[in-house]
Amino acid sequence: MPSPVLSARGISVRYGGVQALSGVDIEVRPGQIVGLIGPNGAGKTTFIDAVTGFARCTGSVEVAGRDIGRMRPHARVQAGLGRTWQAVELFDALTVAENLAVAARRPALWTTIRELLTNAEATRPPVGHALEALGIEGLAEAMPGELSEGQRKLVGMARAFVGDPKVVLLDEPAAGLDTDESAELGKHLRRLGDQGTPMLLIDHDINLVFATCDHVVVLEFGQVIATGRPADVRRDPRVISAYLGSAASDDIKVGEES
Amino acid sequence: METLVLFALLGLGSGAVIAGIALGVVLSWRGSGTINLAAGATVMVAGYVFWALRTGFFGFALQTVPAIVLTLLFMALYAVVVELVAVRPLRSASPLAKLVASLGVLLLTQALVLLIFGSAPRNSPSVLTGDVVSVFGVAVPEAQFILAGIVVALAGGLAALYRFTRFGLATRAASESERSAALAGLSPNVISLGNSVLGHVATGFVGVLAASIVGLSATTLPLLIIPALAAALFARFTSFGVACAVSLLIGISESLLYQASNESWFPTQNGSAIPGVQQVVEFLLIVIALWWRGSSLPLRGDLVERSLPMVPDQDRLAARVAPVAIACAVALVVLPSDFRQAVATGLVATVLCLSFVVIMGYVGQLSVVQLALAGVAGFVLSHLEAAYGIGFPLAPILAIAAATVLGVLIGASALRVRGVTLVVVTLAAAIAIEQFIFANPDWGGGQTGAPVESPKLFGLNLGADASFRGLDGSLPSPVFGLLALVVTVVLYLFVANLRRGDLGRRMLAVRSNERAAAAAGVNVRAVKIQGFAIASFLASIAGVMYAYDFRTVSANSYGTMSALSLVASVYVLGVTLVQGGVLAGFGAAGAVIPLILQTWVLPESRVSIYMQLIIGAGLLIQLRFCPDGLLVASATKRERRARASRAGKALTAVGAKPQGGV
Repeated sequence: MPSPVLSARGISVRYGGVQALSGVDIEVRPGQIVGLIGPNGAGKTTFIDAVTGFARCTGSVEVAGRDIGRMRPHARVQAGLGRTWQAVELFDALTVAENLAVAARRPALWTTIRELLTNAEATRPPVGHALEALGIEGLAEAMPGELSEGQRKLVGMARAFVGDPKVVLLDEPAAGLDTDESAELGKHLRRLGDQGTPMLLIDHDINLVFATCDHVVVLEFGQVIATGRPADVRRDPRVISAYLGSAASDDIKVGEES
Repeated sequence: METLVLFALLGLGSGAVIAGIALGVVLSWRGSGTINLAAGATVMVAGYVFWALRTGFFGFALQTVPAIVLTLLFMALYAVVVELVAVRPLRSASPLAKLVASLGVLLLTQALVLLIFGSAPRNSPSVLTGDVVSVFGVAVPEAQFILAGIVVALAGGLAALYRFTRFGLATRAASESERSAALAGLSPNVISLGNSVLGHVATGFVGVLAASIVGLSATTLPLLIIPALAAALFARFTSFGVACAVSLLIGISESLLYQASNESWFPTQNGSAIPGVQQVVEFLLIVIALWWRGSSLPLRGDLVERSLPMVPDQDRLAARVAPVAIACAVALVVLPSDFRQAVATGLVATVLCLSFVVIMGYVGQLSVVQLALAGVAGFVLSHLEAAYGIGFPLAPILAIAAATVLGVLIGASALRVRGVTLVVVTLAAAIAIEQFIFANPDWGGGQTGAPVESPKLFGLNLGADASFRGLDGSLPSPVFGLLALVVTVVLYLFVANLRRGDLGRRMLAVRSNERAAAAAGVNVRAVKIQGFAIASFLASIAGVMYAYDFRTVSANSYGTMSALSLVASVYVLGVTLVQGGVLAGFGAAGAVIPLILQTWVLPESRVSIYMQLIIGAGLLIQLRFCPDGLLVASATKRERRARASRAGKALTAVGAKPQGGV
């Protein structure tokens, strides 16, 4: 088995008196799309925040064998850890292409100074490949405020992929999308995964997660309660009772049909 | 020991005024999420109205009690007007816009008070008893104790109101989440109005009582906002008790510092105490408060719909710059001497305004320290010449470097601060520089101003007194103006170019969303420091140019209120656009627009007050009707059309649903 690209071990987070995560281990290996699911408040987004440096945590985080657990968020990104946001969070004063350009290029200080004295426009990095990978190359010149919710999601993902990250953490990319858009998104994800970018995928769309992922981890109350191949996890009785419960039993049927 | 206690007690009076303002600041924050820069001006308004009612300024003189009642009624009315004009229209605007609106209120109110009542300080008739009590055998006015007691009671009352009443509960709920408060049937408008009236009446009441103790002056009272903001920061803009206690402590320490300045151990200079130590202490207090109280203000759950001003592209630069530059060059030769001077000054002010475009328009941080940095650069230049004989071009380079380093240090002290709170740090820094450096007889210009030699290179005079004269044969020489024009055009292109490049994109990313910028690999702290360095650099260049322009450096040119006016005028015209900087520069004090006004329209002695009035009113109108800034709105419209035609086909091809608003 190839060594993991992302290895998070013993991740624990406390918010005041609340133990949001306790000792969560998750690994993502090359070529893998790992799904992370769990009921609301299980700690899924907290896990991404902890790994990317936006939430204070204990435990260790390694990207491609390099310990990044003590770095500030931007340095973790530069080490190869990309992420998206639930609320997308595009830079609203920049065009789509400029949004991607921010993430695509990190010049050294002296390069920056030199560019300030020459025609800075010429330094715009190519971002077309990332837009094409998600099928939104036509949006390059649009402003974020002009996009639909689905398009904003795709732009947010393109921004996470444009800097050639070693691994990308996706926080609910399908939330707010309709069924067709969601299925389309799954295809894009699968293709990006096959092209060699491993991912951790959080989503409430069970069909998307089970259809897209090679491996699924289930969280409840900040602890891993099941992990394994989608087919196995789906039948795990603890998962069914804890996560899917009675209210979501429709989802199980849909999941089993697929 | 006894003198210490005595001076501590004498500080209660000014501490109480600061506390009154700090309570107003806290109420504004809790009610509407505004950092209210105009809270100090509230004391001024109430003080003057009460003085006018008591002394018969309006033609009739009232007794104390009716005058107080009428003043407080007026303050309630004033609060309603401020609320309707400057707060309610911006309820869903960005924190920066709210802050700038309060700046508009401050400028407008101060200008009105100066126009109506004049700039001479007044002695307000005392309200509280004139009796004295004996403390350690020394007479201390009883009013000090009563005033402090009243402020403590006010703070306690407000705290109780917030804890135990439905109104207080509603305010707390609304500041957690305006959306859920609205869903629970609590109107954010009513809550905001209630807090606004409460704040203005409470602060005004303290102002009326204190006017006879601290003196009534339209130039000093509004600036008491700075110690009050320091206290509010310690209180995280929420706790009335902490705000009140810290304010009283600041008042006491001011008084103790004053006492200490007469002691032999106090640092002195030529036999007299170093001025401005108190302002430096206030600045350090604010920095400590920010480090100790953590990274940012508690977030209010506002409904922010409208974001920061749009940032149009900078295209076809040469075509835009060339005609203006040629017009300036011609004007610098052919116009009469006072207009030539005004054009040169406008060019210099443009450079200063460009620094606001960088830090406020691109990085989204409101910094007001740049004018003070310009002053520092000017004074360093003057002293390098006078004390060490260093001249052009080494002296300006060293002066610019020194002031830039100072600016970066001030920026670094505010690194943990997010968003608009930077204004608090930079405001305190500006005052500290003004009082500690400019007012110092050795370092600053003292009362007379420090002379500056004209720049000379290889025996060639590049200054305003060069032998080449304007068409009418008089000074100033066009040579310096043309030099300033070249520098200004170069820096204009530099700032426009910044927007188009990598650093500019990163700045705008930080402005939009610091977390998302970090997640895109942007080092947010580094970008802020770089932004601060560029802004300080531009301001320092402007400072050196000012010095050469006037051939003297005097502290009056670098006052904090002038800096606030300048910030406001850049914002009105379009803070995200270099063109906004140019127009604001030509509207600055001593530049072309004020000269035109004073030549043909306005009385000369009051032109700066009228300019302040215009800018303050313009700011409130612009925020209401054209939130991006006057020039930005038209540029954005043009740009959107151009982009739509370029990308129109592609957009429809992928089934985009372009929405009307941005």
